[in-house]
Amino acid sequence: MPVYNFKTMAPVPSASDLVDIVLTRTQRKTPTVVHPGYKITRIRNFYMRKIKFTQQTISERLTAMLSDFPRLSDIHPFYSDLCNTLYDRDHYKLALGQINTARQLVDAVARDMIRMVKYGDSLYRCKCLKRAALGRMCTILKRQKASLSYLEEVRKHMSRLPALDPNTRTLLLCGLPNVGKSSFMNKITRANVDVQPYAFTTKSLFVGHTDYRYLRWQVIDTPGILDHPLEQRNTIEMQAITALAHLTCSVLYFMDVSEQCGFSIEQQCNLFRSISPLFANKQLVVVVNKIDAQPYEALEKEKRDMIERLVKEGGSNTTMLQMSNVSEVGVSSVKNHACDKLLASRVDSRVSTNKAESVMNRLQVFYPTARDGVKREAFIPESVLRERERASAEGGERKKTRKSRIGYAPTKDDVDDDDEEEEEGGDETPAESDDEMMVGNGGGGVGDGGRRKKTARELMWENGGPGVWAPDYREQYDLLDPEWRFDAIPQILDGKNIADYFDPDIEEKLRLLEEEEDRLQAEYEAADMERTDGDDDRLNEMESAQVAEIRERVKIARAFKDRSGGRNRPALPREIRGRVKDCHDDDAKLKADAIERRLKKVGVDASAMLERGRKREREGPREKRRQSRDARGADAEMEDVAAAGEEDDDDEDGGNSMKVDGDGRSRSKGAIKRHRKEREESARREQSMTRSHSRPREPSQMGLKDESMAKVARMVEKKGQRKWFGGSGEGDHTKSVHLVKWCNTGKKRNGTHYSR
Amino acid sequence: MPQHEHMERHRKLHGRRFDAEERERKREARLSHKRSEFAQKVHGLRAKLYNQKRFKEKATMRKTIAMHNERSNKHANDEAVADGAVPAYLLDREGVSRAKVLSNTVKQKRKEKAGKWEVPIPKVKPVADDEMFKVMRTGSKKNKAWKRVVTKCTFVGDNFTRKAPKYERFIRPTGLRMKRANVTHPELKTSFQLDILGVKKNPSSTLYTNLGVLTKGTIIEVNVSDLGLVTTSGKVAWGKMAQVTNNPELDGCVNAVLLV
Repeated sequence: MPVYNFKTMAPVPSASDLVDIVLTRTQRKTPTVVHPGYKITRIRNFYMRKIKFTQQTISERLTAMLSDFPRLSDIHPFYSDLCNTLYDRDHYKLALGQINTARQLVDAVARDMIRMVKYGDSLYRCKCLKRAALGRMCTILKRQKASLSYLEEVRKHMSRLPALDPNTRTLLLCGLPNVGKSSFMNKITRANVDVQPYAFTTKSLFVGHTDYRYLRWQVIDTPGILDHPLEQRNTIEMQAITALAHLTCSVLYFMDVSEQCGFSIEQQCNLFRSISPLFANKQLVVVVNKIDAQPYEALEKEKRDMIERLVKEGGSNTTMLQMSNVSEVGVSSVKNHACDKLLASRVDSRVSTNKAESVMNRLQVFYPTARDGVKREAFIPESVLRERERASAEGGERKKTRKSRIGYAPTKDDVDDDDEEEEEGGDETPAESDDEMMVGNGGGGVGDGGRRKKTARELMWENGGPGVWAPDYREQYDLLDPEWRFDAIPQILDGKNIADYFDPDIEEKLRLLEEEEDRLQAEYEAADMERTDGDDDRLNEMESAQVAEIRERVKIARAFKDRSGGRNRPALPREIRGRVKDCHDDDAKLKADAIERRLKKVGVDASAMLERGRKREREGPREKRRQSRDARGADAEMEDVAAAGEEDDDDEDGGNSMKVDGDGRSRSKGAIKRHRKEREESARREQSMTRSHSRPREPSQMGLKDESMAKVARMVEKKGQRKWFGGSGEGDHTKSVHLVKWCNTGKKRNGTHYSR
Repeated sequence: MPQHEHMERHRKLHGRRFDAEERERKREARLSHKRSEFAQKVHGLRAKLYNQKRFKEKATMRKTIAMHNERSNKHANDEAVADGAVPAYLLDREGVSRAKVLSNTVKQKRKEKAGKWEVPIPKVKPVADDEMFKVMRTGSKKNKAWKRVVTKCTFVGDNFTRKAPKYERFIRPTGLRMKRANVTHPELKTSFQLDILGVKKNPSSTLYTNLGVLTKGTIIEVNVSDLGLVTTSGKVAWGKMAQVTNNPELDGCVNAVLLV
């Protein structure tokens, strides 16, 4: 089922706007840079693309327009007729047809021009052709100025048509001008139609909605119709006629019996007769309106007869009802009657179709046969029965009105009713207050004395309606102690949000925590007891004095150190630790004794440190050791020459090898031989070792004859470094201010100041 | 859901702002200042377009003002003829002055006489061969260069059949063939799209004439049978000459002026 919503149609731009839209889009969405130096195919493609793109944009736009506007043959006949009366079918079709033609023309132009561009042999020619193509397309668009503006007007109007569904349950109000159609509309719907005391206040169809039997009913207010031939009817009347002709609905024909509208009853009857062909197959209600001004019974006999004859002419599905918008007599009965009639007819028509039959065929209803003669009735409690009895005694009608009110906002009648009740309740004050108490206590059950418990909604209305009074839900809190219900619970306590600390298991957790705390406390106390009978961890007097002294000394040492310039290295170089520097100075700080003494005073055992220092002194620096090894090698050779048997001078450096032959004074020849061999071998080995282990000279000393020269070189280097240290040198990357002729003179076309 | 004239309805129900009229008046008064500000600021193509638009607006404005002034303006009433009998010596005083008509006819005649052999575009820039033709290289090695392709628009008759490729020296591409021309009638000031019957003369060269090349200034024959023009002898004219006024290869269409 299509839903007729004409509000989604896109606005139709005017012709000049459309041209602008199309051309700017082309400019934005296609490449814009081309040079005569490009390959000709590229240039051709560039311009062909522009033409093609423009054509596509135009045809896209126009197609959207064509698809947006409904085709009159496709929509519901009511709408198509309405469009015909409002916008003139021919004009409408012509406009759309012209748009369609324009689209085809644009396509043709684009096709031709693209074909021409394919033969273009220069940029200029391609460009001229593109220009011509775009121009021709835009000209075609400009010619559509009139139809575009017409379509825009139509679109605007259509988008404001009421959202009317031709297939739903509908009440249609019709009649002469000023008979009270719009007033009735305002009474039963929220449409808020303009009502004025002159004819043709309503100039078009208006739609409102009302509820009946939990269904939604569409009410259509039509402009007044005058009694003259169809050809003479104007657009305003024709809208009403269209609605009458095409909508399946219940028609309410309004008649003004007071004749205040300026038309006599006879005229109104004539109109009814002239438009009666439109009432065929419709449920018709003749509404005799304005009975407040002219009661129907008081009407002259002839006029009444006229109306009754009319109703008879209308056929079987015509009824007459009386109503007044002013006194609101019969308004809802008219509405209900019309709705009922339509509903019945709709159901009938549905049942009579094949579709319903196919469903009915599948339905079967079984009535189970009784098993035995026992009656099984529903159980109704005693109290309920009592209540019912009481209610029936009080008067069933009032009860009924009350019941129907549930779920609805109170009307004026209801409010009056309430007042009465309150007055009535005046002599029963104790019972009523009791009732409220019941509500207040949040207790359930039926009120004592058999009174019905008041609902919160009723209480709300009694106390001033929504927004003024609201039930206190705290009454219904289910707490351990009912007295807590009304306690104020702060949201923030001590600057903390209570909700953050809320935990459903808080009691359990608290219990666990307390248990743990107790346990720990007990343990701690037990431990404390033990300690008090054992040793005391406090210092005695002597010890505390010692500590104080140590601290004092540390402080002094620190102060001394600070005063000495705050060097960030050990106060005593490692090499001289424990070595004797000056033998004549007893108080020299670096003497081993002095150091030992001092450290001992502080409480540190210095023997290991001193031993280390001594050892290093013995070993001497690396260079020395090396030299000594060389010397030893030379000695060994000398000895070799001197041959065996000779007494070795037991050099200190000689090491263990000397010691080996230290006791070789009386050795055998073989031993000597072996000894020699060993020596040779060891010498050889040593030599090869030195060779293999010999290092090349340091790079900085390469090419220098000896140590002195190296020293000189080092000094010179240092001197040189001192000179340019931190300054710039030849190795530095600098850029001087420097004008490059070719960068700065002449015309500057390609490139920039800096690169070309 | 808006129903119908919702703006008007709203205005009816709720009225307008108290200062609505005042605001409208002020906006109107400000408009000229705004316009001038924009006109002074704008430059380039937008300025050009804006000026064109403004010029048109001003022209229509001037015309309307003139129309409103018409009542007070004094015009020679050409049509009015005095009622009743008028003496002979007064006959010429009213209506169109005879001298003017005479001078007009004389002018017209002179023009016609002179225009017998005069064409709208008397001087035409000659088109060189190398501009007109593109060399088409043929042969399997593409080393032969005796074929030419016409690069301008041409008119080719209906019954033209191409020669065998071996003998076809000039090729007229189908994409550049024109069948119809937009012909303007200089006196009626209207244009019609007419079929081309043939190329009578291309001023640049007889070769072009033979090939049917359409360039600016070319004289073509068009089919005017639809216009219902009549020759001096009373016959219905069928073909008439027209001169091409544009460069068809640049515009993609042929525009011409009828020679009458």
